[in-house]
Amino acid sequence: MRLAAIKLFGLIAVLLAGRCVLAQPLTIDITKGIEGSGIPITIASFGGGAPEDIASIVASDLQRTGKIAPQPAGSRADYSVTGQAQPGGARGYLVQFQLAGAQGAPLLNLSFDVAPNQLRPVAHKISDLIYEKLTGEKGLAGTRIAYIASSGGSWYLVVADADGQNPRVILRSGQPLMSPAWSPDGGKLAYVSFEGRHPQIVVQDVYSGARRVVSAAPGINGAPSWSPNGQRLAFTLSKDGNPEIYALDLATQSPVRLTNGSAIDTEPVWLPDGSIVFTSDRGGSPQLYRIGPGGGAAQRLTFEGDYNARPTVSPDGRYIAMVHRRGGRFHIAVLDLQTRQFRVLTSGGLDESPSFAPNGKMIIYSNGQRLTAVSLDGSIKQDFTLRGNGRDPVWAPYGR
Amino acid sequence: MQQFVRNLIAAATFALVAGCASTGDTTGEQQTTTPQDTATEQGITAQPGQDAYSYPYGQAPLQQDAYDTTGGSQTGGGPSGGGGYPGQAVAGGGNTVSADRIVYFAFDSSEILPESQSVVTKNARVLTGNTRIITQLEGHTDERGSREYNIALGERRANAVRQAMIALGVPPQQIRVVSYGEERPAAAGHDEQSYALNRRVEIVY
Repeated sequence: MRLAAIKLFGLIAVLLAGRCVLAQPLTIDITKGIEGSGIPITIASFGGGAPEDIASIVASDLQRTGKIAPQPAGSRADYSVTGQAQPGGARGYLVQFQLAGAQGAPLLNLSFDVAPNQLRPVAHKISDLIYEKLTGEKGLAGTRIAYIASSGGSWYLVVADADGQNPRVILRSGQPLMSPAWSPDGGKLAYVSFEGRHPQIVVQDVYSGARRVVSAAPGINGAPSWSPNGQRLAFTLSKDGNPEIYALDLATQSPVRLTNGSAIDTEPVWLPDGSIVFTSDRGGSPQLYRIGPGGGAAQRLTFEGDYNARPTVSPDGRYIAMVHRRGGRFHIAVLDLQTRQFRVLTSGGLDESPSFAPNGKMIIYSNGQRLTAVSLDGSIKQDFTLRGNGRDPVWAPYGR
Repeated sequence: MQQFVRNLIAAATFALVAGCASTGDTTGEQQTTTPQDTATEQGITAQPGQDAYSYPYGQAPLQQDAYDTTGGSQTGGGPSGGGGYPGQAVAGGGNTVSADRIVYFAFDSSEILPESQSVVTKNARVLTGNTRIITQLEGHTDERGSREYNIALGERRANAVRQAMIALGVPPQQIRVVSYGEERPAAAGHDEQSYALNRRVEIVY
């Protein structure tokens, strides 16, 4: 069964009316869901006491997970959410909600005292609390994504909420931007900028806008990736003639070269143990390899098909998602490092740039123009309908 | 290694300069803000001649239509393969290179196509005839595959042209190489015809 697509655009239009709109919001459609397995839930109105419709935001958040199925008012459901939002408290609004199970058994009962601009975040918080209670997994409603957009000779680095709301441009450039990467604390983005018509790796504080160029060597400066503790950056430099992997200590600025050969070595990402997975064509076609924290002999990881590139690692280090070519089409595929099982997740085309959600359950990717998220088992799919284009998506970690 | 350290010093110096220049005069590099407290920030004053402008979270002075790529004002939209795409990435920057400066390549290849050999020869002759000219070889790929891997492939193509020019007597110090991968397509379509136009090295001088 194809889960009914939910159109959030009308809701977004209403919510944004009368505000200063900085950029076009995304909308998200669920295009695929688990057959018959969405947990039914009813969500009653939180009343008209606040400028945000919290019940609608919660319903959209839960619907988007593909695992919980909000029902029309008056339906019978296993679970019910009731709540209220009204002026009061020290910060401006009091929001309270209850989650009840069968026969009204109380499962959650919480209240929040929030400022007016925190009504949406608190709605996402409520969604995540309900999701976690019902599924045992951490929710994603309160997380963010970053991506690159472009139009007519300008490139934009955009940060948006995971529901596509609040898209904020944090960098605009007249030259290409690519490969954004979140620091583990979610406070910084490293990316490649071609300003000045040559590539350089920049680290930008998301909140202050302050930037620092960390590499501007001759040749390629590409594919930045943060170490798990946020103290080092791995990236690609070709200053010695061909692309090689380096790791840079951000405090001491001391770089270490980790690969050595005549092939292309690029797209490094860190595993939790400090070893690095990267793309190399040393075997004739691009495949994924793994080296230790200090370099050394490389172990080949992928053997399916003639093109496996752009690895990304799940937060627990167990899975590697990648760009995989078969039959001339590019798909997102995932390798289970424990079982060595290799699974193709998308029907393919120009799929690229996978990035794991911080709970490890979803992977966001792009086809060069649009963003989509797919679940690790391939059963749930969400299309982000951008007003403009979007590519190079990266899901922010949990954090501040 | 020493060379690398020197490069890093250069990079660090550049970082200081670029950091100040690109954040403008109102960002305040020392400013610290929390995500809930950006409302007190001031907007950024754009400075002419700058390539990039950074903004604190939520403070971009961007109008609603600034990155709405659905509008009809852009050029080079081209066929979008059934109109499935809401917006087209279009090469920007305004640098149009004439056909006698473009070298083409086959799919997955960094071998100069025979029909492009004369372009290399002709431009090599110009460079050997005037040693004051510095050329930048800009490598490009089509949009298929991983973006960063395509950066590497684009560089391989630019280096193929570089080697051919050196073989024709051009001093290496007259040649610079940069790869844009798939980031600056010459043709915006998603078909083989556009891809063929995008697999190229532009000889810029």
